[in-house]
Amino acid sequence: MKKVLAVMMLSMLWSAATFAAGTEYRMRVDGLACPYCAYGIEKKLKAIEGVGKIDVDLNAGLVVVDVAEGVALTEPQMKTLFQDAGFTYRSMTEKSLDGGAKNE
Amino acid sequence: MNRVSKQGYRFNRRALGAVFLAGFVVSPVQAHDPIFSIGPHVVYKGGIEIAPEVETSKKGNERETGLGLELTYGLTGDWAAGIDLPYRFSKEGSDDASGVSDVSLFTKYRFWRHDTLGAQETAAVLAKVKFASGDENKTPPVGTGSTDAILGLTYGYESRKWYRWASVRYRRNGENDDRLRRGDKLLVDLVGGIRPKPTGYLEPDTVWLLELNGEYGRRAEFRGSNLPDTGGTELFLSPGIFWTYRYFAVKAGVQVPVASNLHGSQDNSDYRARLILEWHL
Repeated sequence: MKKVLAVMMLSMLWSAATFAAGTEYRMRVDGLACPYCAYGIEKKLKAIEGVGKIDVDLNAGLVVVDVAEGVALTEPQMKTLFQDAGFTYRSMTEKSLDGGAKNE
Repeated sequence: MNRVSKQGYRFNRRALGAVFLAGFVVSPVQAHDPIFSIGPHVVYKGGIEIAPEVETSKKGNERETGLGLELTYGLTGDWAAGIDLPYRFSKEGSDDASGVSDVSLFTKYRFWRHDTLGAQETAAVLAKVKFASGDENKTPPVGTGSTDAILGLTYGYESRKWYRWASVRYRRNGENDDRLRRGDKLLVDLVGGIRPKPTGYLEPDTVWLLELNGEYGRRAEFRGSNLPDTGGTELFLSPGIFWTYRYFAVKAGVQVPVASNLHGSQDNSDYRARLILEWHL
């Protein structure tokens, strides 16, 4: 039991450390009217390796995604992803999760 | 009653049963589409929508209840296709029957989409083909015995607060083995909806709907002759609700007849109701 707990703790620490050094992307998306329809975005983003927390602000038309260190989301990739999910991608900003701005 | 007229009597009951069967002109309902009408919503590319449903209707002494399973796959972000697998319980007077009803294949293509902040305005075309897979020889029948086609055009607007839709459908009915052809149907729908409280992404969400569903049916034909007591116009007012949480939805509505002008001597519809559960995978 102790071994299992230790492995879980290490895994959580590794995960936190990886995402702490990762990137937060904030994407402006048009067409977001209801939470149910936006679920397709979450599903598609989660299919990308290294994607962690996802949040959607429907009123602001924002999709916020945390990715692990070494993972990058590109504009063409996001345009296609949102098109496939049935929405329109507009723009994207990114910042480092350790505090530094990368591209505001 | 001699043997021939007994057969004729049985046939006529069966034939007329087939005429009245499928009071529902059920079309695929996807995500935030109306309950009884069609809408332009399309499941995301690679997405699978699973929607079991129950529907019931009463018209005079005829009562029909149908169970259905609708499976839809997102071929692209704007194009989906699926299959509808129905099972029907029919009751007419003292007779009742049940069984697998007519299977349908359908596709929907969203040909126009205009996205703005918190709102989406779209239009789509829909095609559906219903096959003669149900048993039409039961009394009352659970299948129509004909291959029918439905074409539809639909427009929809959804925002954080308000919804509106307009659609038109035409159902072309085929002839069965007895050369009975149910009358073609034209359906016109106007729908409004409101989300009283715009909720966040991870919160349960409720939208209320009010549909106005108009149906015009031509007379059925039997061996080239019109059947007088068939076809006509009916207008329904249909309150409904969508309740969603994450990737799960419950949709329900009741169609209440508000006006009718049916040909000949026919019972008016008393009500129709539909309950759909839906998962996005």
